[in-house]
Amino acid sequence: MRKNAILGAVLGAMLATTAVQAADREIVIGYQAPLSGDRSQYGEMFRNAAQIKLEEFNASGKLAGAKVAITFEDSKDDPKEARNIAHKFLDNSKIVGVIGDFSSTVSMAAGEIYAAEKMPQLSQTASHPDFTKLSPWQFRNITTQAFEGPYNADWIIAAGKKTAAVIYIQNDWGISALDGFVSGFKAKGGKITATEAFNPGNRDFRSILTKVARQKPDVIYLAMFYEEGAAFAQQREQLGIKIPLYGTSSLYSPKLIELGRESVEGLHLATTFTPDNPDPAVQTFVKEYAARFKSEPGMFAAQAYDAVGIMLDAVAKAGPSVTRESLRDALAATTGYPGVTGATSFDPVTREPAKALAKMMVKDGRFQVVTGP
Amino acid sequence: MVFDVFFLQQVINGLSIGCVYALMAIGFTLIFGVLNVVNFAHGEVYTIGAFVGLMVITALAPPLLAVVPLVLAVGAVSGVGLERIAFRPFRRFTDEASQKSRAMREATLLSSLAVSIVTREIMMHIFGGDMQGIPSGYLLQQPVAIGPIMVASGSLVIFATSAVMLGALQFLLYRTQTGLGIRAVSNNQLGARYVGINTDRTIVTTFAVGSMLGATAGILVGLYDGAISPHMGFAPGVKAFVAMVMGGLSSIPGAVACALLLGVSESIATEFLSSGWKDLITYSLLVITLVFFPQGLFGHGRERA
Amino acid sequence: MDVNVPDARLMPATLAPPAAFSGRGRRFAWTLLLLAVAFGAVPAAIVGTGSSYLAQIAITTMIFVILSASLNHVTGTAGLLSIGHAAFYGIGAYAAALLSTKLGLPFIVTLPAAGLIAALFGFLVALPTMRLVSIYFAVATLGIGEMIYVILLNWVDFTRGPMGIRGIPPIELFGWQADTLLSRYLAVAVIAVACVWVLHRLTHSYYGNALRALREDDQCADSMGINVERLKIESFVVATFFAGIAGALLAHTSAYIAPDNFRFMESILILAMVVVGGLGSLPGAVVGALFMIVLPEALRDIGDYRMIAVGATMFLSILLLPKGMLAEGTALGFVRRSFSRGWATIAGGTPVGWK
Repeated sequence: MRKNAILGAVLGAMLATTAVQAADREIVIGYQAPLSGDRSQYGEMFRNAAQIKLEEFNASGKLAGAKVAITFEDSKDDPKEARNIAHKFLDNSKIVGVIGDFSSTVSMAAGEIYAAEKMPQLSQTASHPDFTKLSPWQFRNITTQAFEGPYNADWIIAAGKKTAAVIYIQNDWGISALDGFVSGFKAKGGKITATEAFNPGNRDFRSILTKVARQKPDVIYLAMFYEEGAAFAQQREQLGIKIPLYGTSSLYSPKLIELGRESVEGLHLATTFTPDNPDPAVQTFVKEYAARFKSEPGMFAAQAYDAVGIMLDAVAKAGPSVTRESLRDALAATTGYPGVTGATSFDPVTREPAKALAKMMVKDGRFQVVTGP
Repeated sequence: MVFDVFFLQQVINGLSIGCVYALMAIGFTLIFGVLNVVNFAHGEVYTIGAFVGLMVITALAPPLLAVVPLVLAVGAVSGVGLERIAFRPFRRFTDEASQKSRAMREATLLSSLAVSIVTREIMMHIFGGDMQGIPSGYLLQQPVAIGPIMVASGSLVIFATSAVMLGALQFLLYRTQTGLGIRAVSNNQLGARYVGINTDRTIVTTFAVGSMLGATAGILVGLYDGAISPHMGFAPGVKAFVAMVMGGLSSIPGAVACALLLGVSESIATEFLSSGWKDLITYSLLVITLVFFPQGLFGHGRERA
Repeated sequence: MDVNVPDARLMPATLAPPAAFSGRGRRFAWTLLLLAVAFGAVPAAIVGTGSSYLAQIAITTMIFVILSASLNHVTGTAGLLSIGHAAFYGIGAYAAALLSTKLGLPFIVTLPAAGLIAALFGFLVALPTMRLVSIYFAVATLGIGEMIYVILLNWVDFTRGPMGIRGIPPIELFGWQADTLLSRYLAVAVIAVACVWVLHRLTHSYYGNALRALREDDQCADSMGINVERLKIESFVVATFFAGIAGALLAHTSAYIAPDNFRFMESILILAMVVVGGLGSLPGAVVGALFMIVLPEALRDIGDYRMIAVGATMFLSILLLPKGMLAEGTALGFVRRSFSRGWATIAGGTPVGWK
């Protein structure tokens, strides 16, 4: 997989150089992501997706008179390294915008610097409520849990389920997912039987499951990533607990089914990205990704693909003489960007994205779109 | 709080976590005992065991019992390699000052850490950082009902394996010539050499045996957990280390008992508190134990540090 | 024993103090050189290249110099292997962050307060654990470090948990605000140099000798009238105090902190700095911090194989120099000749003592 990625990067770079040989200006976008350490699988997906989008863009000729390149830096999911990278990017006058980082803690550590030094930053995944409040220079294209939580709550209530237990990962994203869901669920008259946090890195959920099962909630709502989600579903099956599972869009990945197998059957989640979507943009991306990296893209890859797309679109709008200021303004003006995760618009005041969600469930070993409740 | 069936289930859950820690702690303690140095790379041997096991399974699809000897062999090879790279070079200083020097001892500790970083990163380049699934025929996840209590088949396998390993190791240590050598070296390396024991060979043997156990632990836990990744060794490694020290360093049954104790305390803590706090309970237990038993629960004698 | 300072007569010519340039002049020259690097060469390089990247690395290095020098005090000099140092760094950072954002206290108050609060925790931790020896103590510090991390992460009402604390004001002294990177670096460097100087005075003295004695054999030290328990507690408290100071500097220079800054691997990184530099050697701790911060950055250009190269370099460094880049014995001799205020000379020109 890595070899392919490197090969892809080299090929891409070669293609890009030959395609726009006459280009008189090189515009660079910085991309910081964990490419080593224990979160490197996410950084790897981001880089794969970004590579595809970049080549598409440079081949499309949307930006005449300049070519765009992306510089990747490995943050190791370490705030200390992220700060160094932030300054490295700032020093490079060719870099007009930055995408990344992965986790909110790291994104915000770098974000404080970008805010002070005026560099537009777009994160594909940072969901900390304060991230876009750092400064007008921060953007994200992931829907916040303040939107997704109530949506899922409505869905569960509409299915006639009245009580829920929430299991969430103890990080900023998990807490906002908890808040979003609980407030939405209570507003609709639902009852929360338990909320249980677990620390990042935890792989054993049997104790939590046993504890939660005691109160016999109608559903268990999972706010966690797909690796934990698969382990959770498997252990639920081993303990013979039959309570249905609902989850956040972060569970949406082909890996969930690959790891969880039969145990994830019947899991419900709402997502902005569905590979079955007949939209040609989605189909092109899914085919290209599968051809190069031998796997179906998940939510994280799609997020990165769109983040790069939004960034490059803004570059194109700002023109070949783009600066950090003009790129920021162009980003802020993004309306209805037609991405694979749906149309993205940034709210003029909060710079929060708004997107449409699709309901899905795991059925017969694959994700299928659900119609109706 | 009621002591109902759910509570009993929590104790069983705890024991199955504890078994995972114990499985790792056995090899860890054996290796620690002989050199008195923490082997940070034990978690990587565990991971190598899991990945080699998975590779064999996907390539040849042999019966599960045929995978085990292969993993044992790989464990032994990686143990010998590890000893050769990360530990032996530091025994080149044979003068008394160096042997007593703390700088030397801490250097050995960090050399195994450096080896573990390199190994882990190399594995990430080969296999990717993502979790790898296990083919379903090999998963040890079938639910087994014992009355109202549910256990995964893997828990039973791991429990049985821990017991067998413990028994075999106790036999090796107390009933064989090799075991006598290991105990002698672990007691006093210089003294062992003076009475004619080939200390280098004994140390290599210990690493081979300890790493065989570690690699087996890795594949079994992988089959039980359903997924393996290059980072899988870190978290249980820390807990195994804690269990070893709580047990008193020199006692392998002590380490196993403490590993089970840690697992049960984690799971009972989850019952009363939010599970985010469970590590607080586990580590409080560790600190309190050490305050009242400065040599661990099953340790004896003052070690001249 | 490796701590014995080599006799000047036995040392190779290059290491022996040149007769013409010794005593006061030599001490002055070395001090001047180090200060010139910290306050002359590095700022000049930052201004000259206009590189904020360099400035950021310099700031990070200075913070880790304090951490590694303080860990060296307890682990290197006093011989208590601590693998929970990052937790005290975290306590200092959170103390400074909470005091300045919730109570609005100025930097001049939060800096010492962060040190004192970390030291108080250090003292509470040290009281029951000082009976422990060797690896038992190490594991107790690991446990306590993890407990502190769990508390920082899960006590959401107080620490905001994983949300972290943001909006921490920059370093400010009597109206002068360190708002540029250069001024931030200078402020951190002044404090780091002061911390190292205090640790130098503590370590390179008869007091430091007592610490080394209890490291080598605490029972012997005890029988010679050294109050072992008290000295151990003192050294741990001193180390945690400086870790707290480093935490406050992190909080005020980065404006945002979260529990992920203080994970277990951070403790291991600090320990690696001390060991790579030379356990028990204060100059070594400084060099080790520099090495372990700059190395991963310097290797950025090799891309995906960066961490393999970092691990391999670290391994080679330990393999070839198991006592560290500046081993304790050499370092002590160097410090004596270059920074100590001379020493008594007994008949035959053998130097003794510290003075």
